[in-house]
Amino acid sequence: MAHVHEITIWTRGVVKDKEGRDVANGIAKAADKEGKFTQAFDNYVDLPDRVNVPLRKYARISDQDIEMKYDYENEKPEVVVVVDATIVKGINVLRGVEGDGILVVNTKRSPDEILKFIPEKSQLKAIACVDADGISGTSTVDFSGTEGGVDTVGLGAGISAPLLGAVARATGLVKLESLAGVVQNKNALFKGHETTVIKTLH
Amino acid sequence: MFNVPRERAVPFGCVTPAPVGEQPMMITGNWREWRPVIDHEICNLCMNCVVFCPDACWQLNAEEDEVVWNAKYCKGCRVCITECSTEALTKAYELDFDDGVVRLEKPF
Repeated sequence: MAHVHEITIWTRGVVKDKEGRDVANGIAKAADKEGKFTQAFDNYVDLPDRVNVPLRKYARISDQDIEMKYDYENEKPEVVVVVDATIVKGINVLRGVEGDGILVVNTKRSPDEILKFIPEKSQLKAIACVDADGISGTSTVDFSGTEGGVDTVGLGAGISAPLLGAVARATGLVKLESLAGVVQNKNALFKGHETTVIKTLH
Repeated sequence: MFNVPRERAVPFGCVTPAPVGEQPMMITGNWREWRPVIDHEICNLCMNCVVFCPDACWQLNAEEDEVVWNAKYCKGCRVCITECSTEALTKAYELDFDDGVVRLEKPF
């Protein structure tokens, strides 16, 4: 089995649930356009979610068929996306990251201010901060698009668009052009890609 | 048919001891985005925050004559700020503070 890139998204229940899901689905759909094999799903044990509770969404990208069909959690994520910056104080978001990890945070603060709350900095290769709330400012609250269901509202209308732009710039796992094909708010996507502040640690 | 020894028979439902102090299995401090900050100069000890807090995060310290906040369980609902009679409570963004780090391994 070829190497599977694991992406974990930490978000907050109900209020930012759809945006977190859009990040996972957006990465998977964009990689799918590039001919990769992908998966995107919610974390089963975090559901049903309650308002503001930290919860996870997962995405996987591989060049070959992903055979870990029944592993329903990303044990060793490479990329961690934090949709609400205060989660870094409440959860060890880098659990399972084996060095060379990339952390993408939605905050207007500098990477150093976020690094203050990261206990094991050796797990990280780079940290990227994007002011997604400042760029698009809205969070869609909706349940469509869960677990492969039909997404009637549309993907990437709120803060997930600039976050996806930041993921493309910080990781290079997906191309910006393929993201532009799946995201609704393309201006926010491009602005997020441009304004991302990246700090490389080693 | 069940044969339950008389001394071990219990009524339906059961009596469990109420938690005294804190319940470490139900830490909700990592739900918080905004925290209440108290100005003890303005506070007149009306006890609204103690009464309204759904998680009993505000407690009266009778010796110091002031109310004390518990960061471990406060989930940032801010009902205390709404109910404060003297506007001694204000909200502040969580990342402005170094303390109050819960960092659980699992969400709940």
